[in-house]
Amino acid sequence: MTPAAITPSFWMSTRRSFAAAMRRDGFGIIALVVLALVILGPLYSVVLWAFAERWQYPSLIPTQFGLSFWEQTFARADIQRALPFSIVLASVVTLLSAVICLPASYAFARIKFRGRQALLLSFLATNAFPRFGLYVSIAVIFFRLNLIGTVPGVILIQLVNTLLLMIWIPTAAFQGIDRSLEEAALDVGASPLRVFIQITLPMVMPALSAALLLTFVNTFYEAQGALIVGLPRVVTMPVLMYSLINSQLVVQYGAIVSFVLWMPSLLLLLVANRLLRGGYLTAGFGV
Amino acid sequence: MATLDLINLTKQFGTVTAVDAVNLSVQDGEFMCILGPSGCGKSTLLRMIAGFEMPTEGDIRIAGDSVTHLGANKRPTAMVFQKYTLWPHMKVFDNIAFGLQLRRLPRAEIARKVEEALALVSLSGYEERYPSQLSGGQQQRVALARAIVLEPKILLLDEPFSSLDAILRVRLREELRRIQRRLKITAIFVTHDQEEALTLADRIAVMNAGRVEQLDAPTQIYDNPATLFVADFIGAMNLLQAQVSGGRIVLSGVTLDAPPGLQDGAATVAIRPEDMALLPDAAHAGAWRAVVEQISDLGHYRRALLDVGDGTLKIYLPKSAAVREGAQVAAFPRRYLIYANGGAPREVTRALPAEALTV
Repeated sequence: MTPAAITPSFWMSTRRSFAAAMRRDGFGIIALVVLALVILGPLYSVVLWAFAERWQYPSLIPTQFGLSFWEQTFARADIQRALPFSIVLASVVTLLSAVICLPASYAFARIKFRGRQALLLSFLATNAFPRFGLYVSIAVIFFRLNLIGTVPGVILIQLVNTLLLMIWIPTAAFQGIDRSLEEAALDVGASPLRVFIQITLPMVMPALSAALLLTFVNTFYEAQGALIVGLPRVVTMPVLMYSLINSQLVVQYGAIVSFVLWMPSLLLLLVANRLLRGGYLTAGFGV
Repeated sequence: MATLDLINLTKQFGTVTAVDAVNLSVQDGEFMCILGPSGCGKSTLLRMIAGFEMPTEGDIRIAGDSVTHLGANKRPTAMVFQKYTLWPHMKVFDNIAFGLQLRRLPRAEIARKVEEALALVSLSGYEERYPSQLSGGQQQRVALARAIVLEPKILLLDEPFSSLDAILRVRLREELRRIQRRLKITAIFVTHDQEEALTLADRIAVMNAGRVEQLDAPTQIYDNPATLFVADFIGAMNLLQAQVSGGRIVLSGVTLDAPPGLQDGAATVAIRPEDMALLPDAAHAGAWRAVVEQISDLGHYRRALLDVGDGTLKIYLPKSAAVREGAQVAAFPRRYLIYANGGAPREVTRALPAEALTV
């Protein structure tokens, strides 16, 4: 048979199967396409802009690709300072948040104390109202304490942001662990601390790593708090991006910086994916 | 392998007394069942022995030494829980080896002990599995291996088979008995399942409302329940209200002979279904006239419900008994116990009239 002979029937069958698929999962397919457009559309535009030398209307793709804007961006002193600083800052905030919140969430999960529910709900408060108002009033206090424009000030304001996630997710995880699993470990002779480290902690690890991951990423992107408390001396990447977009209208700068800002979360997501798939974390959970 | 003594052991939760001044001595190598309805305090009692609950009062002694103030991790006890409590992130080997590793045993010895323990519960070769890859019965066997590998002085079991299906429950029960006999380990087994207790135990402690109602060998518990509660709780029993007066026990529909010395007053007569004989319909002294209301075939025996006018009697019959539903019969108690004034029961046995249908 010649290709020409195949083609019409091939197309017909494809059309038939597409129609059948639409009948079967029409809603799913439409939802998928819409989602892909909504999620990937902006990404597509940013990625293209980041590698575009020239892109003029009405062309659908850049008229000239190149890396010259990357060289220009990374040659900037402010970027060279802000990028490593942002990574270290987000790590420190995440770590501090874990140190503060994990014992608290264990207490929330395991100890029945007066006002437990109210206290747990109070962490919603910082997320329930416009943050800007909260930050401004905090900034007033920080100003008196000489924390404006200092790294500890920025760390403190970003910690506020992390509380909800770092307390709620681990609390739920700790609550999900049957007490008798811990009792069984005590029973064979493990000290309470060892029970926590070798039995409880590994079992909450998937939820815990999700909380750590989200906290890191959220902190890395956090701009409002850092903007109000940090400027002018402390400049994080997102804050820098604001000023880049505000001061000069070079689209490429913004695109490249946001591209760079994606990198940590993309990397972390890949790592998390590996961890979750590796069976180490999920082993025994029937996943 | 040791004795266990509970002395005046009491546990209060707020104003509720869960365990009320229990005294109990378990001998070396004995299999003791603690049997009772839910909420009777049996689990709390076991958890106090394990060290998960601190007693409000009293003392716990293992091999003569008080362990009351030791934490659960310091006590020479090991527990098999009701729920599946294998650690999901550890393989079977690591689950069993965990306690041994804490004791800093050499690697080779740990491997040998784990292997032996797994062989004992017939799960050799399952070392590398995760708990989620095991059935419920297998998980409980691993939990048992995890407990016995530590060679505890006292093995504690908290309804370990209650979430398994009936066939598996019976099989694991037998397996547990075999292992316990072989290791000659002292075991405390908590259950609400009387059949489990009757088949497993050397002695049974029947608990009710935080107290031990009776402590005896299974046969004794069944044949001579010390209190009305035990009579009602263990096995099937016909419990009938009666009045004692002048050496006679007056029940609804029948009058029975009272044992000598029984005081006049209210009493309860307890008759096991198998202690009741059927006679051809006629007036007999000390027998009910009854109509056979229902017959159920239960495999190796039959159960009949008799209508005796203002109540129902339950009786067991051999398969061969030629009785049909609707038949007029007389029901003759061959043996009964009389409970009066909260004291020890009085027993009466009677010779069977020649024309009985049952043996």
